[in-house]
Amino acid sequence: MRKILAVAAKELYVFFRDRNLVLLMFATPLVLSTIIGLAFGGSGDTEGPEIAAIDVVVVNLDEGVNMQEIIDLPDQVADLDALPIDPAAFPPLEQNNTALNFGDILAAILLSQPPPAGSASPTPGFDLNELGCSLLDDSENAGAAAVSLQGSLEDLLDATEMDNADQARAAVDSGEITAAVIIPPGFSSQIMPRFTFDQNLRLQAQTAGSVGTVDVYTNRGRPVSAQILHGVVSGIVNQFARVGVALGATLETSTNTLVDIVRGGQIDLGAVDLSGLQTDLQDLDPAVIEPVGCLITPGANNISVSRQPLKAIQEKPLFNRIIVPAGASQAVFFALFTGVFGILSIYQERRHWTLQRLIVSPTPRFFLLAGKLLGNLVTVFLQLLILLAALTLIASAVIGEPTFIWGTNLALILAVTLALALCVSGLGVLVVGLAKTPEQVNLFGPMINISLAVLGGAFGFALPDQAARFSLIFWGVDAFTKLADFQTDVAINLLVLVGQGVLFFLLGTWLFKRRIGL
Amino acid sequence: MQLMVETRNLRKTYNLPDGSNLEAVKGVDLEIRRGEIFSLLGPNGAGKTTTISMISGLVDPSEGDATIGGYSIINEPIAAKRLMGFVPQEIALYPELSARQNLVFFGRMYGLGGKELGRRVDELLEFVDLVDRQKDRIATYSGGMKRRINLAAGLLNNPPLVFMDEPTVGIDPQSRRRILDTVKMLRDEQNMTVLYTTHLMEEAQELSDRVGIIDHGEIIALGTQDELTQQVGEEDRLEMTIGAHETNEALINQIQQENAGVSRILFNPSQEGSEDSTESTPARLTVFAKRGRTALPKILQDLNSAGVEIQSIAVNEPDLEAVFLALTGRALRD
Repeated sequence: MRKILAVAAKELYVFFRDRNLVLLMFATPLVLSTIIGLAFGGSGDTEGPEIAAIDVVVVNLDEGVNMQEIIDLPDQVADLDALPIDPAAFPPLEQNNTALNFGDILAAILLSQPPPAGSASPTPGFDLNELGCSLLDDSENAGAAAVSLQGSLEDLLDATEMDNADQARAAVDSGEITAAVIIPPGFSSQIMPRFTFDQNLRLQAQTAGSVGTVDVYTNRGRPVSAQILHGVVSGIVNQFARVGVALGATLETSTNTLVDIVRGGQIDLGAVDLSGLQTDLQDLDPAVIEPVGCLITPGANNISVSRQPLKAIQEKPLFNRIIVPAGASQAVFFALFTGVFGILSIYQERRHWTLQRLIVSPTPRFFLLAGKLLGNLVTVFLQLLILLAALTLIASAVIGEPTFIWGTNLALILAVTLALALCVSGLGVLVVGLAKTPEQVNLFGPMINISLAVLGGAFGFALPDQAARFSLIFWGVDAFTKLADFQTDVAINLLVLVGQGVLFFLLGTWLFKRRIGL
Repeated sequence: MQLMVETRNLRKTYNLPDGSNLEAVKGVDLEIRRGEIFSLLGPNGAGKTTTISMISGLVDPSEGDATIGGYSIINEPIAAKRLMGFVPQEIALYPELSARQNLVFFGRMYGLGGKELGRRVDELLEFVDLVDRQKDRIATYSGGMKRRINLAAGLLNNPPLVFMDEPTVGIDPQSRRRILDTVKMLRDEQNMTVLYTTHLMEEAQELSDRVGIIDHGEIIALGTQDELTQQVGEEDRLEMTIGAHETNEALINQIQQENAGVSRILFNPSQEGSEDSTESTPARLTVFAKRGRTALPKILQDLNSAGVEIQSIAVNEPDLEAVFLALTGRALRD
């Protein structure tokens, strides 16, 4: 292990001794990022017009979900007659306005309008909009999820409604508007769990498995606006998904407990007057179901992603908002070169015979390769870290006060940086392993890096998400942007980066070992 | 006598891109004794570096095995490598690092550390007389100084066996003399075994206890210098450069018949310059004769009569060059 560390330390030392290389790898991305930040974000804390009013159209194709379809007790349970109750005594769930339409709620949030009547009223007297959460103070607790978001979004979005998805996309393509949010048909039904009873009369909630894809169709020329809108919609949709899962789990647990109690004879169901249940529901005191209110109020649950980031985004200077994606993408882009050419140096070592001198030393050959790879990984990690720190200093200097542009979650910042370093370094090993000669690396390495940069949006224009996702730069920049927005949902990013990194490393090491004979 | 290195049927075959095979080393058997300087002498491309690379564990043999101090380089490479130091033909040092940093790094790769490493580095810097420049980057060193540090890096683990692959290539005579003296000192004062490859006959003659002559991947002669020169007899070697294309087989036969002491005559016609070199090689006539100095006047007279222009003459007593020439029909420098 000491020998691996010795090789890694030597790699680091040699890299940081090369002044020209250091200048290229650090100064260039810093200068570029700063120029981009100043050019597009200004130097002060002024709100740029692009961010202040993101013009967006909302197309809601969701038809909602009928609660009667969610639970149809008499139809599902064949031996209901065997129970000591009269099925006719169950209160009819189907009412005129029992449809639950999450699409309406999402549209209303984006349009900064109150939710339409009935969109969140599964039963008479049971209006989600009236629910609150005593855990929050008044400023945070505006009554319900929808209402709580309105104040901040109104300043951020200039949203209008449209009926036709194709027309909305065409308007985005023509540059007439920045983005379109298209809520698909069946959106609500995919959020709400389906309830079924098995033969033992046990309730089973089945979540839809996916939340449906809300299409955030954006203008490629306005990546920052697109990213903000994407964050807003993702946050709200995630909230809905959480509500669906939580409701399913709650109802499943409570109903099954009730069935167990009835079966155990602890309650004489025959003696219960069910006719009063409907009345009880209608007269339900909101305070009794307050936990449900807390569940769907963003400020009170664990994933309060919708509100806080919006607030943070709005408070951030424009320079700050620009330099985060620009700086992160430049940092990763230049780290890609370190990843490739750091590994390539092993060919140089072979040419200078230092590799041969190491091979004839009493050191297992794999240690030499491991040390080299570790050195490269640490070099890339430090390069990224130093660039992040330098960009923080630059942003603070430009803004005029200390500003943690990457957010304050240091552990996640380090985790994302490490995952990126692993991925970048792994890619370097793979590229060098694939090439037959150093000359091929010199030719194809930059081509691959530039392709990844184009895909990942490092050159100032964004490709569609579907394409960008093929680039590790996208995943890295996306993670850093989320962290900068005080979001913590970077698990997917970490997974993708680490997964890619490990895959690249294993494949590249295998190829490399064969090529170089280590 | 205890053996330090033993090779058995050491063979290396390379597959060429065109599908053919190149047999670089063809079954080399060697026994190198502890405490001796053994030189592997041969022209460029003879297979010296490939042989030394296989013995040192740098290249895997296609066939055969080598043992270092009893350890197989194939089956027990780490144990075998602990017993050896390696001084390659190239300057195998990191130019960005100082001499001391290079030695410390390579010392770590030999398992040294702490005070022991520091002490050993100090000793070696003093040994190669570069204490004053130890903190300077290798990139700033002269060729000779680099060679000295290159040598020091091969001695870090104080090994009982050192491989030196043409360590004097491309350096000035002063630095070369210093390295040759150092090699002798390692044997005489530290009882190190040295396996030394060279294409320079003078180096092999000056240093070696025993010599193996290698050509086209095969050991064609092996023994002490006396043993080897006895193979070509007590003949002197008269080397003459002559005007191009002025001899013929009849003249050579005539000289051989009319001069009783002459046993053999080799003629190397002049060669035009290649793509790499514009210089052409003059024609050479090599005459093997007992009491060469006595036979010389008559030989010159014969050549003169035949109208051959003689440009230079050298009379050489039996040496390794003569052995190589006698065995291969070519000079080492060819």
